[in-house]
Amino acid sequence: MIAWRSAALLCMPLLSFVGTVQAQTDALGWLRKMQDATRSLSYSGTFVYQHGGRSETSRITRLASADTERLEVLDGMPRELVRTRDTVRCYLPESHVVKVERRTPDRNFPALLPGELNTLARNYDISLGELRRIGGFECQAVVLAPKDNLRYGYRLYADTGSGMLVRAVTVDAAGNAVEQFTFTQLDIGRVTPDMVKPRHAATGWRVEDAAAAPARLAGWSVNAELPGFHKVVELTRRMGESKPVGQLVFSDGLAAVSVFIEPLAPHREPARTGLASLGAIHIYTREVANHMVTVVGEAPAASVQRIADAVQYRRP
Amino acid sequence: MKENISALMDGELEGRAADETFDLLRRDGEAADNWRLYHLMSDAIRGQRRLVSAGFVERVAARLATEPAVLAPGALPGRTPLQRFALAAAASLAAVALVGWLAFAPPPKSQPPLAQAQPPAAGAPLPDAANDYLLAHQGFSPRVSLQGMAPYVRTVAERPDESSK
Repeated sequence: MIAWRSAALLCMPLLSFVGTVQAQTDALGWLRKMQDATRSLSYSGTFVYQHGGRSETSRITRLASADTERLEVLDGMPRELVRTRDTVRCYLPESHVVKVERRTPDRNFPALLPGELNTLARNYDISLGELRRIGGFECQAVVLAPKDNLRYGYRLYADTGSGMLVRAVTVDAAGNAVEQFTFTQLDIGRVTPDMVKPRHAATGWRVEDAAAAPARLAGWSVNAELPGFHKVVELTRRMGESKPVGQLVFSDGLAAVSVFIEPLAPHREPARTGLASLGAIHIYTREVANHMVTVVGEAPAASVQRIADAVQYRRP
Repeated sequence: MKENISALMDGELEGRAADETFDLLRRDGEAADNWRLYHLMSDAIRGQRRLVSAGFVERVAARLATEPAVLAPGALPGRTPLQRFALAAAASLAAVALVGWLAFAPPPKSQPPLAQAQPPAAGAPLPDAANDYLLAHQGFSPRVSLQGMAPYVRTVAERPDESSK
């Protein structure tokens, strides 16, 4: 008995350490597999987005050979988004508006690079979860547990066959789901170019081009970065029909937080300030040096507010 | 099988998978042995010195089987002191059995650290231009490389006339 106990005491920590490293490698492998599947497969499917007791159904179609993807929101206000390699167009048929976001010259649309996947492990404990059947797919769960309370946790379920992400759940510190994406139907392959064409010709519609360009926002800074979040981009852009707006984006490799800075007109009503939420997204607005600062991010309210409170202006 | 048992111990199995594993533990002697062994290992690793001796479960179960079931004992009038003593003794044996069970139950998972401050309440209405901000933001979210455009559905879905109600 004593021999067995010593053996267990000596071996188990070592075995469990080796096991943990192996489990994390396996889990990172699954994240890579999901990323590859999302990029390299053509698919069409219907998914449900659930948050705060609401649910919305959307259809998504991707044609990998053309690197084109189309998203159509089926509930509520009609919206259609088409993403190509260089642009995202958002069609709003009721207001006859098409909004255009372009890739900035110095930055591709974001991708989780292999290196970035490894840095994820600094902010999250990544492990394999259970096997579960979802919507007819046998799925492997990958669990990303945050190492602090500045970010949410995630449970990602990938189809064991194709690697496609079938369900993604965002969980808060108490373990409650704050939002969830689930494919209710998914077909892999059999996508034709017609299926990713926008449904609207948009002839005569108003075009709102973001015209984003990398820039240094003179005088503006976020004086205390949120641990684990690093600035990934700084640019000026248009939003709606507004004057140029500054945008700074911070990311921890999986979650992103944007800071928007826009000038306020001299004679105007006071800016509407405060915190609003939508699923895992929090939006915090405050006024700084006669500018409106709006922070938008898929992070807990306290994190979004912390970044907002750290925004400051010093006359350059 | 072993993976499921260890996941169950860690409280990571839910729903059908958990039910199936409980079933297995009831039916399969080897699985039940593994369950006990894993707890013994886990206790040993955690440095709990007071390991329960082998056969403890069987002995408690055997003792329990010989005891009458006590269902909601109430204060009935006219009991003799001897009867009261017997009831108290039965109750304390039940308490011992409960402690025995707790000793074998998986340890509670460590709680996530509480936020240092109460999270602020999100009560403000969404800004008028919320959808513009969301569209501008989504393009930079690394989530897109894991699930394509799906995160772009995170926009305000109400038509302008519905949201103003």
